[in-house]
Amino acid sequence: MKRKRVAKLSRFSEVQTAWLFMGPGLILLALFTFWPIIYSVPLAFTNYSVIGETSFVGFENFKRAFSDINFIASIKNSLLYMIIVPFIQILSILMAILVNRKIAGIKFFRAAFYIPVVTSMVAVSIIWGWLMSSNGVLNYMLLSIGIINEKINWLSDKDTALWALMFITLWKGLGYYMMIYLAGLQAVPTDCIEAAKIDGASNFQVIRKITIPLLKPYVFFCTLISLMSAIRVFDEVFVLTSGGPGNETLTSSLYIYQQGFEVFEFGYSSALGLIISFIIMFFSIFIFLFNKKGGVNPY
Amino acid sequence: MNNRKLLKTIQYKFLIYIPLTLFALLMMGPFLWLVSVSLMPGKNVFSFPPAIFPTFIDFKNYVDVWQYMDFLKYIWNTVIITFLGVVFSILLCSLTAYPLAIFKFKGRNIIFIALIATMIIPAAASLVVNYLTINKLGLINTFTGVVLPTLVTVFNVFLFRQAFMGIPSDIRDSGKMDGASEFRIWWQLMMPMIKPAIAVVALFEFMANWNSFLWPIIVLNTDKYPLASALSFLNGQFSYNFGWIAAGTVISVLPIIIVFLLTQKYFMEGISGAIKG
Repeated sequence: MKRKRVAKLSRFSEVQTAWLFMGPGLILLALFTFWPIIYSVPLAFTNYSVIGETSFVGFENFKRAFSDINFIASIKNSLLYMIIVPFIQILSILMAILVNRKIAGIKFFRAAFYIPVVTSMVAVSIIWGWLMSSNGVLNYMLLSIGIINEKINWLSDKDTALWALMFITLWKGLGYYMMIYLAGLQAVPTDCIEAAKIDGASNFQVIRKITIPLLKPYVFFCTLISLMSAIRVFDEVFVLTSGGPGNETLTSSLYIYQQGFEVFEFGYSSALGLIISFIIMFFSIFIFLFNKKGGVNPY
Repeated sequence: MNNRKLLKTIQYKFLIYIPLTLFALLMMGPFLWLVSVSLMPGKNVFSFPPAIFPTFIDFKNYVDVWQYMDFLKYIWNTVIITFLGVVFSILLCSLTAYPLAIFKFKGRNIIFIALIATMIIPAAASLVVNYLTINKLGLINTFTGVVLPTLVTVFNVFLFRQAFMGIPSDIRDSGKMDGASEFRIWWQLMMPMIKPAIAVVALFEFMANWNSFLWPIIVLNTDKYPLASALSFLNGQFSYNFGWIAAGTVISVLPIIIVFLLTQKYFMEGISGAIKG
């Protein structure tokens, strides 16, 4: 009796309700996530720009990309950016181990390490831009403790500019990765560690033999997201160097932006986006497969 | 014996607090120095040796930059963008996640695969096409145009789905018994039960929208810029007026740091909850 009434009350079947619920979200996803990928394919084969007629140009954009020294340089820089990833891991694991204990003031330290994460990259870039200038505080400190002999213009010297930017990106991200590892550390069963200690394992042995292996899923997760964000690096480069000196710090995201919104060559910019998408897809699939082998699911 | 133990604890504390303090200085130092610069009127940050501590404290930079930049307007822009972003992300993402967690229907797996696929596709390629789409929709120079493309993210949908799956099915059944519509069950029974997940998404979206920079400068005119974009504009315009830029930077980061400090617990729990293996 009751069952019947319920069935009557709902005007929609379960399938219909499901689609009604998901509709708005899926439309937005389709429009702003799937459509760009689909539409940038035909766009990449045209010379679509703000001026002039649009026409089909075949593989012209792709040919141009692979002989464009700036584009090659941007790919090289972005790949180099991806190599800093392991360093992020090591330092933030160390930070996580340090803050993973109940001692006075530990909340303050956690917050202090995390504050760069919540502030905007623009603000962070402005501060570090000043600190790293040739008359800046960084040079002053390094000179006074004798690490360097002469002032270095970190962000406009072609030998240091990219590394300086990487440092800023890394500095901002450290706290984020630290929190992920901290979560991982707190999931490590304490009896496991106690048992090892009773058997006479040193602190270092515990970290190496128990903690690090149990952190593996978190390392995978961090590797994945830091690779994704390395290819997206934009704000700091845009604010601090605009890709210079020369194309020494040009990253692929910045170059796509420049071609699209400074030179207004939408067709060419789309082609560059496609090429980079393929590179990232290759990396992500590689990591996903690697991830699966370890039996780890980031969600 | 007791003395040795005491010595050992002191030694241990030393070994912990020294690196902790060094890291804290590395992470906080630049911000403290920024505050210091903002309080030194007329000082050049590029003088050598650089001024690190103010000799006297003066809020003139704050007053000047506040008047010159019309910060209230930029803060208001940021507040609107952030508000729209947070509220609609929560609503749309949880609506999308709900059937994926609870219902069994045809096409569920296809949607799942489609969602996961978006995680592999990078955002870099979407800039141009999204700009054209927003342009076609007539949303250039509107806050809706800024917010719309980032409202639904797969990450948030999955987070909500996980939360909904944790709710016992009895609750939905009892709602049905009482004749509540599915929409009412979602809004009045389910949403209150996933408050922690809502808090996490709210905080993440707050942060993302408050700090958003690139997309606003593409879609908006300068007078509609949010704080981060306005700040880069200020930095370009007055690169010689360090006190102003420092004060402006402090003004722009202060609200988010305050929000972070007030909600620290959730922030930190949120991250660990979001990536549970």
